[in-house]
Amino acid sequence: MPIFRWGSALDAFRDLEREVDRWMKSVDITFENPRLGRPFPSLNLYEIGDTYLITAELSSCVASDLDLSVANGVVTMRGTRDASGDIPEDRYRRSERPSGKWERSISVPERIDDDNIRAELTNGLLRLYLPKVPSAAPKQIHVGGDNASTSTRINQEEQS
Amino acid sequence: MNESTNDENESQLAAGVSQQWVRTPPIDIFETDDGLMLRADLPGVTSENLELQVQDNRLTLFGRVTAELPEGATLLHQEYHQGDFLRSFILSDDVDHDRISAKLTNGVLEVSLPKIPRAQPRKISIQTD
Repeated sequence: MPIFRWGSALDAFRDLEREVDRWMKSVDITFENPRLGRPFPSLNLYEIGDTYLITAELSSCVASDLDLSVANGVVTMRGTRDASGDIPEDRYRRSERPSGKWERSISVPERIDDDNIRAELTNGLLRLYLPKVPSAAPKQIHVGGDNASTSTRINQEEQS
Repeated sequence: MNESTNDENESQLAAGVSQQWVRTPPIDIFETDDGLMLRADLPGVTSENLELQVQDNRLTLFGRVTAELPEGATLLHQEYHQGDFLRSFILSDDVDHDRISAKLTNGVLEVSLPKIPRAQPRKISIQTD
């Protein structure tokens, strides 16, 4: 990081920004560590044209364990993960895989067509397709009032 | 069983996939009646894309994730990086390498590491002249 420079004094902010970016990146790497608590499951949200796609890493999960629901633009997924089975705790040498009841909600930025949601679960990877509600054509709103009623009356007089 | 890192073997395996993220999968290790059992979460990995090898006394697992996204997908929110799974372990000497078996179901790898059966005491008969 250069200490002294000719030119704009504000350049120093760019260096600071870069330093902070670098620092933030190292924090990110720390959180990638499997031994640290992270929300389960990890989700990614994508937008593909007029569909949203949520992918979730749900290994050991089968379709019958999974409860998905959508209400008011919030997708909620729920399940129980029994990673251990019936193995007593004292037999474990290492335990990093999360287990137990879990629930996650994610809010989707636009209205969703609730009837056409599709979900696939393959090899422990969930894919949830959420189509957006097709935006309707702009609707003209007729403004009623005195003028409008007089004009209709005139029209009627012309006809008669 | 110890975990090994920064190993030549690992970097060789990972060299072919430098463009993607390589992740460390979470694992459980527990004792069973005849040895150890290892379970690893490998979401998105199929048995064809999983390499499991034992070299000397090192067990390496490498799972390739091939789930491709549809064209034109833009990422709005990210909590995990799509990428391959790699982790390796040093096996203790009493693991029977020939009887190691593994299965993959719903993205969970289960490796059974049986112990070498301890030799039974053998009676030596003494001959008399």
